Amino acid sequence: MVTVVTEDNRSKYREQLAQMHRDRKKVFVDRWKWDVPVIDGEYEIDQFDTPSAIYLLSLCPLTRRHLSSVRLLPSTEPHILGSLFPELCEGDVPCGDDVWEITRSVETPDVPKKIARESSDRITVALVEFALLFGISTYTCTVHMGMVSMILSEGWECEPLGLPKTINGELLTALKMKVSPATLQLFRQRAGCRRPILEWETSAAAA
Amino acid sequence: MSTFWDVQEFVSAANRVTSFPELTSLMEAMSKTLGFDYFAMVHHVDVVAPDVIDLLNYPSSWQEMIAERKYASDDPVLVACQFTNVGFRWSDVPSMIVMTARQKEILRGARDAGIGDGFTVPVHIPGEYAGSCSFGLRLGKDFEDSAMPGAQFVGCFGFEAARRLIRTATLESGRTVAPLPQLTQRQLDCLVLAAGGKSDWHTAQLLGIASDTVHQHIEDAKRRYGVATRLQLVVRALFDGKLTFRDIVN
Repeated sequence: MVTVVTEDNRSKYREQLAQMHRDRKKVFVDRWKWDVPVIDGEYEIDQFDTPSAIYLLSLCPLTRRHLSSVRLLPSTEPHILGSLFPELCEGDVPCGDDVWEITRSVETPDVPKKIARESSDRITVALVEFALLFGISTYTCTVHMGMVSMILSEGWECEPLGLPKTINGELLTALKMKVSPATLQLFRQRAGCRRPILEWETSAAAA
Repeated sequence: MSTFWDVQEFVSAANRVTSFPELTSLMEAMSKTLGFDYFAMVHHVDVVAPDVIDLLNYPSSWQEMIAERKYASDDPVLVACQFTNVGFRWSDVPSMIVMTARQKEILRGARDAGIGDGFTVPVHIPGEYAGSCSFGLRLGKDFEDSAMPGAQFVGCFGFEAARRLIRTATLESGRTVAPLPQLTQRQLDCLVLAAGGKSDWHTAQLLGIASDTVHQHIEDAKRRYGVATRLQLVVRALFDGKLTFRDIVN
């Protein structure tokens, strides 16, 4: 299952979110050498980890430990593409209630590749379920050019928003991905899951 | 000069193509728009099979020589793809890999066939053969740096269109494509060390497991690939992208 963490139920997932921020630090700062803020030497937390951010967490079914996750930001509020890299868009930065941005896609580095991969497959399914449930027609993302083939091969219906540009020594590009029920079917087939996998506990239910 | 608009047009056309001849003419036209004369969209394997991508319009004399002398697996441009995931100029290849005499011979052969500089976009997809999309120029011509960003996208979206056509053809024919063999993390750990020249004993010390266990992991991996020797196993794993040259060389 993939857990939706919003402002309302965040207090229930403190431990998992802390693991996520630790894994983000291990991957983005230690491995990929991104120049992003690190809190207390172990958590990668930036200016976009606000109450508006929604996290999709894939947790280990046994231990409830963080395996992989993404952060979703509404395009109507400050987000990576709009605030940091608008020059990657040839035209206007896509913006609207039905447009959300995917960022900080991460897998915990401590688990075997196969488990990490299955967990990421679940996240892609969850992204589409989430979009279809909540009226999101389009995701945007800023990615390294080297990731584009892989994203396309997953079956996302992608369009480039502008030509790639070298920024701080990295070739970056912005994509938009349209979401449809066909996308969900395709991703479910690949991940081998036939039922909805999003789970969402409200704070009221938790009490 | 290509603009983002040309790239957008290409992307939407690539998403609509329904046959390989259609994709080939689209790639041909788009290569010209980008300022190139040739393109080659290929999986880096020396076999002809229905699920292997092999679309190109190099001069026929060069295509024949590639086939005859089995250049595909040694082509320095394709080998250089192992070391990067974004497009590169062919003239940068000597700074990316140490070239063997045979690889220098391949470059000379391409020049003799009238092919000059070019640009290659690697396509690395987990669990699939390594691939790439190259754009080449006639000898004596040059391309602008400004062609490269557009070529990056054309390479990626063109390749994806080819993957989609193969998937559709496979579904329609009712043929099932055998999935690539999967190796466990432990088998890969042992294989990387073996490929780097370590003995079973040394590998066992490094991984903190018994020497017999190392031997068993490698034997199991060989069985999954249906190959008889360690050398064949390493070559297959490199082809499939399970291993990269960098894993071994480092």
